[in-house]
Amino acid sequence: MSAGAVAQETGAALARSDADGLNATLYWSQEWLDAQAGVIDRRASAGETLPLAAIPVALKDNIVTTDAPTTCASRILEGFVASYESTASARLRSAGALIACKSNLDEFAMGSSTEHSAFGRVRHPLDPERVPGGSSGGSAALVAAGVVPAALGSETGGSVRQPASFCGVVGVKPTYGRVSRYGLVAFGSSLDCVSVFGRTVSDASRVLEVISGPDPLDATSLDMDPVRPAAGRRDLAGVRIGLPREYFPPDLDAGIRAGLDRTIAAVRALGAEIVDVSLPHTRYAVPTYYIIAPAEASANLARFDGVRYGQRRVGPEGDIRSLYRATRGAGFGPEVRRRVLVGTYVLSAGYYDAYYRKAQRVRGLIAADFAAVFGTGVDLLLTPTTPTTAFRAGEKTADPVSMYLADIFVSAVNLAGLPALSLPVGRSEGLPVGAQLIAPSRRDELMLEVAAVIERTVPAAEDVR
Amino acid sequence: MSDWETVIGLEVHMQLRTRSKMFCACSTAFGDPPNTNVCPVCLGLPGALPVPNAAAIRLGAQAALALGCTLHHESVFARKNYFYPDLPKGYQISQFDRPLATDGTVHFDSAERGRVAVTIQRLHLEEDAGKSLHDRVPGRTAVDLNRAGVPLAEIVSGPDLRTPAEARAWLTVLRQILLYTGASDCSMEEGSLRVDANLSIRRTGDAALGTKTEIKNMNSFANVERALEAERTRQIGLVESGKQVRQVTLLFDAASGAVRPTRSKEESHDYRYFPDPDLPPLRLTTEWEQQQRTALPELPEARRRRFADVLGLAPYHAGVVSSDRPLADYFEAVVAAGADPRAAANWVAGDVMTGYNADGAFAVEPARLAALIGLERDGVVSLQAARRVFAELAAADADPRAVAERLGLVQVRNADALSAWVDEVIAAHPAETARYRGGETKLIGFFVGRVMKLSGGKADPKGVQPVLKERLG
Amino acid sequence: MTIGRDQVLHAARLAEIAVDEHELDALVTQMARIVAYVEQLDEVADDAGVAPYAGGPAEVRLRDDVVRPAALAHPVSDMAPEFRQGFFLVPLRGTMEDEA
Repeated sequence: MSAGAVAQETGAALARSDADGLNATLYWSQEWLDAQAGVIDRRASAGETLPLAAIPVALKDNIVTTDAPTTCASRILEGFVASYESTASARLRSAGALIACKSNLDEFAMGSSTEHSAFGRVRHPLDPERVPGGSSGGSAALVAAGVVPAALGSETGGSVRQPASFCGVVGVKPTYGRVSRYGLVAFGSSLDCVSVFGRTVSDASRVLEVISGPDPLDATSLDMDPVRPAAGRRDLAGVRIGLPREYFPPDLDAGIRAGLDRTIAAVRALGAEIVDVSLPHTRYAVPTYYIIAPAEASANLARFDGVRYGQRRVGPEGDIRSLYRATRGAGFGPEVRRRVLVGTYVLSAGYYDAYYRKAQRVRGLIAADFAAVFGTGVDLLLTPTTPTTAFRAGEKTADPVSMYLADIFVSAVNLAGLPALSLPVGRSEGLPVGAQLIAPSRRDELMLEVAAVIERTVPAAEDVR
Repeated sequence: MSDWETVIGLEVHMQLRTRSKMFCACSTAFGDPPNTNVCPVCLGLPGALPVPNAAAIRLGAQAALALGCTLHHESVFARKNYFYPDLPKGYQISQFDRPLATDGTVHFDSAERGRVAVTIQRLHLEEDAGKSLHDRVPGRTAVDLNRAGVPLAEIVSGPDLRTPAEARAWLTVLRQILLYTGASDCSMEEGSLRVDANLSIRRTGDAALGTKTEIKNMNSFANVERALEAERTRQIGLVESGKQVRQVTLLFDAASGAVRPTRSKEESHDYRYFPDPDLPPLRLTTEWEQQQRTALPELPEARRRRFADVLGLAPYHAGVVSSDRPLADYFEAVVAAGADPRAAANWVAGDVMTGYNADGAFAVEPARLAALIGLERDGVVSLQAARRVFAELAAADADPRAVAERLGLVQVRNADALSAWVDEVIAAHPAETARYRGGETKLIGFFVGRVMKLSGGKADPKGVQPVLKERLG
Repeated sequence: MTIGRDQVLHAARLAEIAVDEHELDALVTQMARIVAYVEQLDEVADDAGVAPYAGGPAEVRLRDDVVRPAALAHPVSDMAPEFRQGFFLVPLRGTMEDEA
């Protein structure tokens, strides 16, 4: 199929999803698609090898491109067009991919439901009253709705795995540093990872291979080859899989439990050895995250000051301070404001040791928990991705902490910089259930190889009960 | 005033001599149109990331070693958070509790106290902010980000200085060392060197430090001294009239010589420092440190001592000739080409330096100057004539002797010629001759003068005197 | 440690974010809730001497000192809210704190 034809099809699918009220896109246009397709078709005719030739990929709208706006779903960046291209999107384009659209997200990637977008929430493709998860809800919904086969999102505290689990698609977070952050609008710099959604493990792997690899423009990028899982693994003989007891609490949602039980049984049948393990500091992961991420965010978002770009407002006093305060007061939504203020508070004089330094030490303990378990010969961990299936819109917005608790099974991974993914393993009362694999640092390939095997065996959309 | 002891510390920011900025590949060139040396990183665009400049680290490390500091093999970049229009990210990437270097010493000679050691508490790396211009556009502040991201080293002294004059003297020594390393141009006029000062007072004999104030906006070492004088007077005046010194930031006003508080209400800044998560730790090896030590030139004090102790220069000349590294290099080249060190020092401290200060270059090749010095030593030309030859050589390179001959400056020492002139002068002045022979030996000067005049200045005065004495008897 | 009005207003000043009086009470309640939640880290007693964890490379990679002018896809004037004579412009009042 020519890129031109793909562009037409993709545009039609995007138009349909907009008409359906999915609200998963913040920017797309047929002209943009057609222009890109023209370039791809010319390159293909000229004999260039394009690994992702004309594959449409959605881009979370916190990844910058020069030919579309990047708003981070915030009023403060309404209309902003970056004058440089992110490394991730540049690599996609170099491989011949078609950037389908910029997708909706929680504002500045802060949230777990995409309800905190300044441009309206995203609807869950299977139930419009429910959320697709967040912060990369738009990208997850577009893949789940079949509009695109793959999408980029970003993770800071589970923002790709959690919506992948809610939406029933594959969501892959690489080892921190294996994909360049250059051009990803920073939220929590020591946690942020460009991550990938796919209909299948293979789709996600192909995209991840293209975007990963060292980047001289990102001093935190690792000197490692692109992620390239081997094909051909037939079963899980010789693989030791750990089940951390802290991720299987007695009151775990019954549907989630059933989905995991089915997956564990399948994994055992494939020849894996299952062992019980413990990650004792798990319950401190979310509170640790909610000190470190807001602290880093408070500095990362200081550049949004109305001076050089973005929307500007000036208060009645008419001086520079009132420019800052009015711009940021009007431009940031309530969740962003809360996090920037909490972050400012925990870094401020007199509080730094008690909060930020303490949190960094607890983070060290959490990372050490994983290292200790992997050091005993466990190859991978298998856990639920989320404590529940997709919740209803409005259910968790009144109390910020209740929203944070959606991330209890995903946050520790970001704190420890590990690779992890969510795989759809069934449905509970019609809603997707996700299982999570966590690998040791830099073992992304093993994780993807094992996930591909499980995917072949465990039906993704079958009722679990 | 003698009841009071003044305690002064200095903070120096110097721009490191790199081609590109600290965290991006933009040019550091001065004077380009506003906002043309900018990129996503130094503009603070969303998603941009810093990558440190290897040369900035090398120059910073060399400066630190030259100041006697301990170079830390692991140091950390930190974010210093505050809002200002020319600070694009809303934070400055600097270093906080894990700086590049600490614990150095720079000695200087204090007029009051003799040789004094001043601690260098720390040297750390950071990026500069842009420039805010308040009088370009009416009612607006105009921001130019060309300077944003330029590499700086911040050098902090201990509170070891005791007078404004000491501060100035110490700064001169510090600057000389830093210029020797080549780490910076160290020019306050061009903005590659900035100085902030801290001053407090305490009763003589007290151990505790008084409240210190910070003084900014001094654009020369002389103004640093003036500002500190003004602030010392102000603080003493306050305390003696029963008031307290408050911890404020003051700006120096060069026109009036006064210091005044900044206009903002002094809410002392809470910079909320934390390690920059975009930058892993800076790690240096012992081998690398050794390479930087080896790359350092002989530093001013050591060089001055060698000029005095080994080459035999007088202290004044040793100081002048070693004051500037290219000048010292030139001097040594002249000596290496065969000139007597003391003679060479005279020349370098004189005509050579005049030309160098004016043009920034050495117009006469060291070998040529050495040859000229040889001619003067051999009496072929007088010193005065040699200076004329030097001026010619500065305009166009040539062999010194050939120039001397062309200008008719070669001195005559030929005994017959000298005798002829001497005889003529004696014959022309019988009265003075008689008086000399009668005991007025101081008339020798008169006769030398007459011989010089008769010879049109060409007679070698050193050769004339003996011939005169012999003929006069 | 309870976080109250004063701390919230102080943080808002440091972070340069306007907070309207009518939003302040709700904001204080929410932030107090968040801070109380994260304070459970006080329970962790075995963290003495733990090295802070950081992902990515163990040491920073440096860049050669080569000038590479950025090819900006759009001129800075396009993105600036106020731009004249080559400068970004902001109100004059309140910017002259540290200059004579």
